[in-house]
Amino acid sequence: MIEEDIEADQGDLRVDGRRPLELRRIHVRMGVFGQADGSAYIEHGKTKILAAVYGPHQPKGTGRSKLSKAIVNCQYSIAVFSFTSGERKRKPRGDRKSQERSLELRRAMEAIIHLELHPRSQIDIFVEVLQVDGSDYCASVNAATLALIDAGIPIKNYAIGCTITLVNSSYTDGGEEGGVGSGVLDANFIEECAPGVTLSIVALPETNNDNVAKNSGLIVVAQGAGQRLHLSLLESLKQRALLGCQDIKTILDRAVRHHLTIHSLPSLCNVTLD
Amino acid sequence: MDEDKALNICVPGQRLCASDKVVIPGAGTYEEQGYIYSKVAGVVKFITEENTRIIEVQGITEQSIVPAPGDIVTAMVTIVNQRFCKCNIKCIGDVVLTRPYKGMLWKEDVCAIDKDKVEMYKSYRPGDIILARVLPMTEAHTYQLSTAENELGVAIAHSEEGVAMIPISWTQMQCPKTLYKEYRKVAKVVPEHVIAEY
Repeated sequence: MIEEDIEADQGDLRVDGRRPLELRRIHVRMGVFGQADGSAYIEHGKTKILAAVYGPHQPKGTGRSKLSKAIVNCQYSIAVFSFTSGERKRKPRGDRKSQERSLELRRAMEAIIHLELHPRSQIDIFVEVLQVDGSDYCASVNAATLALIDAGIPIKNYAIGCTITLVNSSYTDGGEEGGVGSGVLDANFIEECAPGVTLSIVALPETNNDNVAKNSGLIVVAQGAGQRLHLSLLESLKQRALLGCQDIKTILDRAVRHHLTIHSLPSLCNVTLD
Repeated sequence: MDEDKALNICVPGQRLCASDKVVIPGAGTYEEQGYIYSKVAGVVKFITEENTRIIEVQGITEQSIVPAPGDIVTAMVTIVNQRFCKCNIKCIGDVVLTRPYKGMLWKEDVCAIDKDKVEMYKSYRPGDIILARVLPMTEAHTYQLSTAENELGVAIAHSEEGVAMIPISWTQMQCPKTLYKEYRKVAKVVPEHVIAEY
C-alpha cells in the first residue's frame, strides 16, 4: 500500500517532491585527486561516487596485453558504510554484484574510448561508491566518463547513465495508459526498493539535431531489475530514459566547460600567446 | 569573459564541422559519417595550409609519454642473466617518466663488435644506470633496448663501497677509494665539468 500513497496523496509528485521526468540535483567536481591521471566526483542527489583513472600505462601482468588496442580494467567498489539505512556491507568488492557492475562498466567504457590509439597499454578505472541512494550504477558511469575527460584520454562521446522506474506495478497488467504515465526518471532508493521495474540505460546521446526525433542515442548497456515488464511498455520507457540521458549530458557538458575555463585558463593564455 | 569568447573550447563528442576536401581532421579529432568530432576536451585550433585547413584540438591535460623506437632512454639495470638483463626505463631523453617502464637488453645488443664474446657479467651489474636506445618492439610487454653504440652503455656505476666509479677505458671502471677495477660496457659520456670548461 506504500506505492499507492506515493502517487495518490501528492498528485503527480514523488516522495521527494519531484515530478516524474525530473532529475535529482547533480553536483560534479573534476580533478579531485592529484595522484591519479584523471579523477571525478559526482553526486546524484544523495548518491555519491568517486572515480579515478590511471593510464594509459604499461600492462603489469604478462601475456595480457593486446597488440592492436588498449585493455580497459575496471573496478567497482561499494563502500561498507555507503547504504542509507543502518546496515553494513560485509566487503566492499569481490562479491558477485560488484563483479557484475565492473564488467558492465568495462563494457560501457570500451564503447567510448578510442582503444586503437593506445596499443599494448592498459587503462585502469576505479569507481568507489561512497553513498547509495538509488541509481548508483548510472552515476558511476557518469563519474567514470568525467574522469576519462579529466585524464585527457580520447573518447568518442559521453557515456551517460540514467534509470527509469515503473512505480505502480499493480496497474501494469491492467491498462496500458496507467503504466506509461507512471514511469519516473532517476529513481531514488525508496523507488528502487518498491515492487516495480527499474531499467538502467547507458547511452551515447546523439548530438545531431536532425536525429533527435528518430532515435536520440545509441544504447550501450541496459539492465533491468525488479518484477516483470510487459513488452509494450519497453519502448516508451526507453524513450523516456533517453530524454533523461540528454538532460544529464547537458548538465555534465556545462560542468566540463566550467572546469576547462576555470582550472586551465593560465595554460590557455599561454596557448593563445603562442 | 572576453577570453572565453576568443577561445573555442570543446568537449569530447562535440561536432565541429562537416568534413570535405578542404577541411581535414587533425590531432585530437576524428571523422564519422561526414562530420568531424572532437576526441578530447580542449581548445579548437585551425591550421591553414596551401589548399586545406586542418582542425586540431589541443588537449589541456598532458598525457604520459610512451617510449618510441629510436629514443635514447636512461634505465637502471635490475636483473642480470647470461642471455639478457632487465632494466627499468626512468627517463626518455630529458623527460622523467611518471612511471617506470620495463625494458630488456639482450646479449647480442650489448656491443656492436664481437657479439659472441660478450659476457653479461662483465658488461652490467644490477643497480647500474645505463644509456640505451629503444629498438622496435618485438615482444608484447617489454621494450627492447640496445647499447651497440659508443655513446651508449653504463653511465653511473657504484662499487662495493658505494662510491661512484670513474671510467678509465671503454671496458673498465675504477673505484676511487679502493682502486679496484671492474669490467663494464662504459658509455662515452662527456663529464659535466668538462662541458663547463668549454
